[in-house]
Amino acid sequence: MESSNTIWIIIRRMRIPFLVIIITFSISILGLTLIPGIDDNGHTYHMSFFDAFYFVSYMASTIGFGEAPYSFSYPQRIWVSACIYLTVIGWFYGIGAIVALVQDKRLAREIDIARFRKKIKNLKEPFTIILGYNNITHPIIDWLNKEGIRVVVVDKSVEKIDTLELENFIPEVPALSADVTTPQTLKLAGIHKKNCQALVSLFDDDIKNTKIALLGRLLNKRIKLVIKSTTKTQSEHLHNLGVRYIEDPFLFVSDRIYLALTAPSLWLLEMWIFGHILKVRNREHLPQGRYIICGYGRMGHALEYALKKANIKYSYIDIKSTDYKEEKQSAVFGDEEDFKSLLESGVKEASAIIAATKDDLINLTILATAKKINPEIYTIGRENTVDDLSIFKAARINRVYILEQILAEFTYLFIARPLAYKFINLLHKKDEYWGSEVVDKMHNLLGENPIHFEITINEESAYALSRELKKGRKIPLSTLYRSRSDRKETMPLLVLLIKKSNGDIEAMPSSSFALEDKMSLLIASNEESKSDLEYIINNYYELEYVLGEKL
Amino acid sequence: MNTEKVISGFFFILAMTINFGFVYGDPSNLQYHSAYELFAAIVINLIATVLKLGDKTQLGSVLLATSLVADIQLIASATVWAFAIYLTKEGMNLESTVAVVSLSAGAFIANIVSVLLFIGDTLKSKR
Repeated sequence: MESSNTIWIIIRRMRIPFLVIIITFSISILGLTLIPGIDDNGHTYHMSFFDAFYFVSYMASTIGFGEAPYSFSYPQRIWVSACIYLTVIGWFYGIGAIVALVQDKRLAREIDIARFRKKIKNLKEPFTIILGYNNITHPIIDWLNKEGIRVVVVDKSVEKIDTLELENFIPEVPALSADVTTPQTLKLAGIHKKNCQALVSLFDDDIKNTKIALLGRLLNKRIKLVIKSTTKTQSEHLHNLGVRYIEDPFLFVSDRIYLALTAPSLWLLEMWIFGHILKVRNREHLPQGRYIICGYGRMGHALEYALKKANIKYSYIDIKSTDYKEEKQSAVFGDEEDFKSLLESGVKEASAIIAATKDDLINLTILATAKKINPEIYTIGRENTVDDLSIFKAARINRVYILEQILAEFTYLFIARPLAYKFINLLHKKDEYWGSEVVDKMHNLLGENPIHFEITINEESAYALSRELKKGRKIPLSTLYRSRSDRKETMPLLVLLIKKSNGDIEAMPSSSFALEDKMSLLIASNEESKSDLEYIINNYYELEYVLGEKL
Repeated sequence: MNTEKVISGFFFILAMTINFGFVYGDPSNLQYHSAYELFAAIVINLIATVLKLGDKTQLGSVLLATSLVADIQLIASATVWAFAIYLTKEGMNLESTVAVVSLSAGAFIANIVSVLLFIGDTLKSKR
């Protein structure tokens, strides 16, 4: 409870200024009432306490309305000249000290914390705690807000919290600058609350992430933890802690490359979930020949694993970005020595090159140099931060993996779109044949630009359907495909995944699948049939019409 | 001996005694009640209040509350006096005189409570 102490210390410090004001005022007032004055008619009089209080108040604050109620006598003026110095100095010291204390940084911080605490207390919707405000978490906040999931942000840096406040997120994002690795901070951010759903920690520092994961696990067993980890041992540790969702950006990229090499349809489905159109563009076809990996760190190893699994020949050039910069005093790859090492690795015959170092500039120059030697080569670049997006775009690299963006997308999916996330997991277990069937089906039904959304059958989002199912009525999945303008027609809609209330997953369910209450559905459709479907499942008349039993 | 305790104790008790001095006497006759005494009572009470600021304990809060009550009563008493003299035609009458005295009598009660609490706390401490 050290927080409230600060306020007490500050109030205590106000004692002296208050005392100074009270004592100087009372001495002056008392003097004025005791010293006799002369009124307009020449009679002696004594100032009343009210007159004296009035006069001293405006004298001390240097307002100075003049002598009241009558012109002062000389004894009065002598006393007043002494009082001016006494009270004016006392007043300025006292008021100055009090204003300084009110502006005290620690007090301001206490007030910030109190406000933050109040905002957290008033959060009634489900919310997610995001630690750190940066390029990764910014889009996550945007997306979660759109899904109606509230976000609480804690970052160590005051400036970052200030920039967040300037962003004007709607709904509001409560934010606090504090040390994120202490239990007090996590408690402040509401980790104990019933409606706290998830804790997101995607720092670059693995040890920090693990510490946060441990704290989160101990403070609240129920919440989802989204923790970034970039090494295998780290991930194992986290797994042992019971962290359900570990984000390893390198693993994501490696899985994606593996998928793109061995099962383009599955890759396409995964990318479509993330907002890609449902069509592989020409330049997105990965060549099958030999690959060169530049940079043999965490990412390089992950890529090696993917290429090995896909049975692709590869060679690698071990470049460490930090060592490279130190040695050559430059972040530009492509001097004679570099040329030589590229040639030695067989860049002339290779069909693709992956630049996977930690430095964006080195990655760019590696790809540019390789392209100079072999104009036909397929270039794949690792982009570490979103800030460099425009340069990477201008460099015309065939494929760019933006680690920050990938992390953000996966986090969002895991928290806000659990079914889409399950669908992606499922993709990695299916084969190309299954994938191409799904893609063909979607193409025929929905064209190249379908959307996807999730619906849970409950009274809130599917009123009529949920009520009817609860009554025990048998409703097969095919009902949902019927058009509300003519029930003999079908609307363009495809249920990709159904999650039963016991957690079982049914992918690509058949049209005779019996719906139950509390099921969640992942659906691919277009905007029109999405709103039609929402009508049908919420409105009794529409539902009865498509069921076609009563008219 | 704790200097801070001596000073605060001095002002708490002085606030009560001066307050008593003003209240003592026929409540309907203003000649028994000096304006200077009321002024002193107000100033000493304000000082006592400031000395009670910033005490985090339960007792400190109650002490502060009693002091605030005394302040408000005494300031109200002075205000009634000023109102009666400057804003009414007849000046001080019996009603305003009694009001001035009884308001400060209320403050006196609050001061008694404050001093009792202060003494109780002192007795309770083992040193």
